[in-house]
Amino acid sequence: MTSLDHLLLVSALTLALMLLFGRTRIAGRLAVALYGVQFLLLMQTGALLGEPVASSLTVSVLDLPMHWRYDALSWFFAMITIGAGFFCAWYAAGVWQERYREQGHSPRLFHVALAANVLTMLILLGSGDLLSLFIGWELVSWASFLLMAVGGGPAGRAALRYLVYAFSGGMAILAGLMLIYTQTGSLEYTRVLTLFGELSDARVWTLLLLIGGGFAVKMGLLPFHLWQAAAYAETPGPGSSFLGAISARMGLYALILLLVAMVGIGRLTAMEVPFTFLSARDLIAWIAALTVIIPTYIALQQHDARYLLAWHGIGQGGYMLLGLMVGNAVGSAGGLFHVFTYGITQAALLMAVFAVVYRTGTADLNKLGGLVARMPLTFLVLLFGIISLAGLPPMAGFVSKWMVYRSLVAEGMPLLFVAAVVGTLGTILSVYKLIHNIFLGQLRIEHEQVREAPLSMLLPMLGLSTLIFLVGLMPGPALSWVAAVQTSLGLPPVPYTLGGIEDPRGGLDMLWLVGILMAGFGVGALIFFGLGGKSKRVHQLDNYAGGHFLTADVRYQYSDNFYAGLMHLIGPWYRGAFLWLEKALTATVAFISAVTNGLYRYAQPALFVLATAVALLALTTA
Amino acid sequence: MTELIKTPRAGETLPVTAGKRTNPLANVFDELVRFAQSRSLFMLHYCTGCGAIELPPAMTSRFDMERLGIQPMVSPRQADILLVTGYVSVKTLKRVILTYEQMGSPKYVIGICSCTVNGGMYWQSYATAKKLNDYMPVDIYIAGCMPRPEAVIAGLRELMENIRQGKADSWKDYYRHYDHYLGHQQRLFGETWQTPTDVISEARHYGLFGPDTLGTHTALLEQHQKPLEALEMKVDIPELTARR
Ligand code: SF4
Repeated sequence: MTSLDHLLLVSALTLALMLLFGRTRIAGRLAVALYGVQFLLLMQTGALLGEPVASSLTVSVLDLPMHWRYDALSWFFAMITIGAGFFCAWYAAGVWQERYREQGHSPRLFHVALAANVLTMLILLGSGDLLSLFIGWELVSWASFLLMAVGGGPAGRAALRYLVYAFSGGMAILAGLMLIYTQTGSLEYTRVLTLFGELSDARVWTLLLLIGGGFAVKMGLLPFHLWQAAAYAETPGPGSSFLGAISARMGLYALILLLVAMVGIGRLTAMEVPFTFLSARDLIAWIAALTVIIPTYIALQQHDARYLLAWHGIGQGGYMLLGLMVGNAVGSAGGLFHVFTYGITQAALLMAVFAVVYRTGTADLNKLGGLVARMPLTFLVLLFGIISLAGLPPMAGFVSKWMVYRSLVAEGMPLLFVAAVVGTLGTILSVYKLIHNIFLGQLRIEHEQVREAPLSMLLPMLGLSTLIFLVGLMPGPALSWVAAVQTSLGLPPVPYTLGGIEDPRGGLDMLWLVGILMAGFGVGALIFFGLGGKSKRVHQLDNYAGGHFLTADVRYQYSDNFYAGLMHLIGPWYRGAFLWLEKALTATVAFISAVTNGLYRYAQPALFVLATAVALLALTTA
Repeated sequence: MTELIKTPRAGETLPVTAGKRTNPLANVFDELVRFAQSRSLFMLHYCTGCGAIELPPAMTSRFDMERLGIQPMVSPRQADILLVTGYVSVKTLKRVILTYEQMGSPKYVIGICSCTVNGGMYWQSYATAKKLNDYMPVDIYIAGCMPRPEAVIAGLRELMENIRQGKADSWKDYYRHYDHYLGHQQRLFGETWQTPTDVISEARHYGLFGPDTLGTHTALLEQHQKPLEALEMKVDIPELTARR
């Protein structure tokens, strides 16, 4: 029994205990304790800095041995996974679970789904060869389907849509693995690694499209981004936080294995895209950049806070891939670090939104407002979260985004840099919409009596916010993990310090930056209060409306159709592009099916079956 | 500073109240603050009557009042000057007063057009307020039917000069003699007239409470005034408050 075995066993035990005791009141607290134990066990594996830790479990399928081991990359992702499970279970453990039960849902099913998600992800992260990777991949897909579907209703429908995507992605990956197997007769990482070195560019392209495409589906990379937002947003509260924080990153984990560990950035740069001047790396970087921009601007349009955040989840995945594709020390560290910073940010944001849903019963941005007076702590959590999401100091998200930007500028990719900045602009606009429509402006009459979120939900939210601020203030410890991951992937490690990174071409020290920021606020406060500054709170009806007298029953805060002017400018452009893309895809499928249908039905079927069989035989024997 | 009821006339010397400090350094500081104030004026043009038409040329490239540091502002909370540009009907006057009370101190009122001075050609109209000065303290009147942009700019420069010299503090008058202004307002709008702003408590807040702040009219106001409490931010965590 190795330390990894302990971890996986406790994770499986969590699942079993949730199956047994999920119905009881203590289920939530039990789950929190068990995730805590898993976290400690993960810390003890030592996979981050030392040698990879193997599991004693090995299974053979068709003479193919499967085994599991943890290296720094697995450790990094597993740490976020268990952490997310811990905070989400904590959020669910108290009154949330009771309310969920009262609404006629089963908390047991929820806890089981969450535990299953954590377990399957831990299995996937430990995969030691392509076969165990594929099996882990399918397990994760089904586990997330379970978590999405437990809520029923719209969540169930969204989950079914997800299933279609996950199936096609899985099939593409399987096809790719079969191609590899026919070439090498093995799916071991070492053999695959040498295989990629020997293969011609055309074959690598095929594998990239099949396997990479399959992984990209899960990540929501363009053009496979349409399923994710609905599926994640409709999932019940903490489940949504978990999916948004880490599940969406499983695709990225697999892509890192494929693109960075197996093919390698150098090879990607050398591969030309036929008929263009782009290399494969540029192509992927541009796909990532478009994944940043387009979903972010779709988020801008959303009128449901959950959907708004879920769309951002897709967009932020683009930053991570973008940073990795730059491939230098700072860029890839930025991409990897963003997995962590964004994970804690998204979990906190969704928890805050679901706390508002818990109290008011709606996440509709047109039906809220002014809640800062009633839920100030939730407001604070959301504020910390959006500052981090928008990538502004002093929060954690700033550090990782800054690293991505800096590497793009330093490596001479100005257009990608502009694309990333355009994405950030969209983020800033939409998070402003989020906080304004929920917390600022006029408090509605029906929300007069709303109270602060219950303590059991508030504590994990505040814990995550503190983490967001602390990681922003002192990114050093977290960057040391990232540096270890980089070393294990064969990338140059980032030169980190306690406050940021050290670089002769321009480093970052958050301790100084935050200090100066706070000093700025301090000077401002000194001037204001030193000069006897007086402030006065006014009634919310004492507001300017073109000189009009306001009454409580008149809505003067128009959050409906927010950013109408901007939408007027950019709306038709991307909406048109999207319709075009979707139509083109459906038209292609319709055309192919019509052709096959025609051949099959009306021409001589036997002849075509024969011809296809001969062609297939010729292909396989060639 | 405008005296009550009495409208300031051209050539009249106004009493100087500011700048009486003994510490010379404090004087220098006051001068500096007043200079800065006079050079950064944001105006809310509440365009009530025909005189408003002279503002676009005054603001745009031909006469360009921005070169003097005067810019338009969209909300009263951030504005320094309230421009009332012409006759004010009874209905409009309510809005003008509401807007004036929402402005932060120090604030200045400019009445443009003869109509704001004495009702102008609407003297006989039943629906028009005659003298703006009855309802709020006016710093500068710019007479004419209508005054040309040059006159508007001359008036604004006069105001700037007054601010620099510390003479333009009629806004304090509104707090010190609130009862007087409220009386005129009640005469026009009826006894139940009320704005959301609690001027009396504001007068206390700014230390401008005077013997004439309260009177018969404010007593009338307090009889029917519905108090508007500011929305308190409260941290009300159920578990913690229940245990207490
Ligand atoms: S003074 Fe003449 S121009 Fe001005 S508001 Fe009166 S009628 Fe109109």
